[in-house]
Amino acid sequence: MTFLFVLPIGAFLEYSVYSYERGRLVEDFTFKTYLLFLTDPYYHAIIFDTLKMAAITSFVSLIIGYPLAYGLWRCRWPALQRWYGLIIFSPILVSVVVRSYGWSVLLSDQGAVNWTLMKLGVIREPLELVYNLTGVVISLCHVFLPLVVFPIFSSLVRIDPALREAAMDLGAGWWTTFRRVIFPQSLPGVVSALQISFTLALGALVTPAVLGGGRVLVLPLQVYRATSDINWPVASVGGLVLLVMALITVALCNRLLAYSES
Amino acid sequence: MTRNWPHIRHIALALFCAAGAIYIVAPLAIVVLNSFSSTAYNVFPPEGYSLRWYENLAQQGAFLGAAVRSVILATLATAIALVIGTLSAYALVKYRLRGRDIVKAFLMAPVVLPSIVLGVALFIFFVRVGIAYSYPGLLLTHVLVVTPFVIAITAAGFSNFDWSTEEAAMDLGAGPIRTFFRVVLPQIRAGVLTAGLFAWITSFDQVETTLFLVRPGDNTLPIEMFLYLQKWQDPTIAALSSLLILLAVAIVIVMSIAGRNRTPDGLVMQGKEPSK
Repeated sequence: MTFLFVLPIGAFLEYSVYSYERGRLVEDFTFKTYLLFLTDPYYHAIIFDTLKMAAITSFVSLIIGYPLAYGLWRCRWPALQRWYGLIIFSPILVSVVVRSYGWSVLLSDQGAVNWTLMKLGVIREPLELVYNLTGVVISLCHVFLPLVVFPIFSSLVRIDPALREAAMDLGAGWWTTFRRVIFPQSLPGVVSALQISFTLALGALVTPAVLGGGRVLVLPLQVYRATSDINWPVASVGGLVLLVMALITVALCNRLLAYSES
Repeated sequence: MTRNWPHIRHIALALFCAAGAIYIVAPLAIVVLNSFSSTAYNVFPPEGYSLRWYENLAQQGAFLGAAVRSVILATLATAIALVIGTLSAYALVKYRLRGRDIVKAFLMAPVVLPSIVLGVALFIFFVRVGIAYSYPGLLLTHVLVVTPFVIAITAAGFSNFDWSTEEAAMDLGAGPIRTFFRVVLPQIRAGVLTAGLFAWITSFDQVETTLFLVRPGDNTLPIEMFLYLQKWQDPTIAALSSLLILLAVAIVIVMSIAGRNRTPDGLVMQGKEPSK
């Protein structure tokens, strides 16, 4: 099975050293396409935007996901805990296309979010929430939320309850207990949540396509368009750049994980 | 600690969790509401209610064909991945194989390899070897995508496995195949079922990996929807999405009935202390 991963990457490497001129593939060995990515500010901007989107998305996902995981963990009614777990988990069952569409409806100028905010008198003019980075981030966080909550939740569950009680008995307030006892022990879960959300955000195509409205150009979209245009060298190099970014993220997170577990 | 009124920070946490639930449910609820809208443009609250988008959906043969194709593809891919995945997990847990690290790397593949990269790479590779747009190529891709999940989930299911029962069966004269089906499989059934469900949903929801592998006109459902959304935004897609949400709700209900005495997800909850 592993070969099925290796062979396509081989084909990728092959096409990455070809070039594309005047709408045609030129099958001669050249590093032209790599040079293009290294020197052209257009590609620099795309790579930077992709990293920025992934960073904001995983940061916001963690900010929302951690308290939810903590609340789920501290919930004292088993029935409520089970139902809340199901609510957090269930969006996984619904297609990303459906969820992105839902957000594009919800966030549009005449959508429910703007309507509510205007009724409440928070804003006068509708906020621009779709066809920009804001909409993409809101929607991506929604897509990744279950994948962020569950690793954190499972690392919280592994904490020995006696530790928390001991800290409380020894006179630590809830904040100190959280900061010195609970949070450090939940770090492995936080790191794996970060790893999952960051790498998935790097490769996200559907959400930026639906909610970006052509104005959020990230690397997966560029790879998609290049492939459709038979500009396979650009698609290959773009794909390889994505792959390298994901590999670096995974390697960094594994280092962080080893560090957080010690 | 025996205060009658919960502490302010507990209320804050509960409110945050309630807001979180709204955030999670809102985009799905709006889709269902929008599917009954009487106007073609999206406006909240809807100006009127009708069933016209469901009627319109019923007339769109492309979606039905795509749905059938997706169901068949997901079912075939799940069946193949379950056989390969369960056996690999069994071998992986039972024997200290030399290729362990390679299999571990394979399990990490869905995280490391962005799916658009896998999709485009496979497409270019399939064009190169001359099986582009073929059904075996498509099926192979889906099996490739879901197998790591199946291995990971079923391998986790072995953590509570009592190996002495297997030995006992063998000692009592059952052959290895009979032992596997009569003794091993029943014990890991929950893990295999979870893996199957997860694999089916994952396969059914593939966009990036499948986008270039299907011939135009032979699209799977999510791709048909994705391409439709690129062109139009009318509530026909909301009607179709509502049906998919209904399917998801049905799955959740079945799951919650099946796991009534278990906590939200049996896999992570193992080792949890009983709540006081």
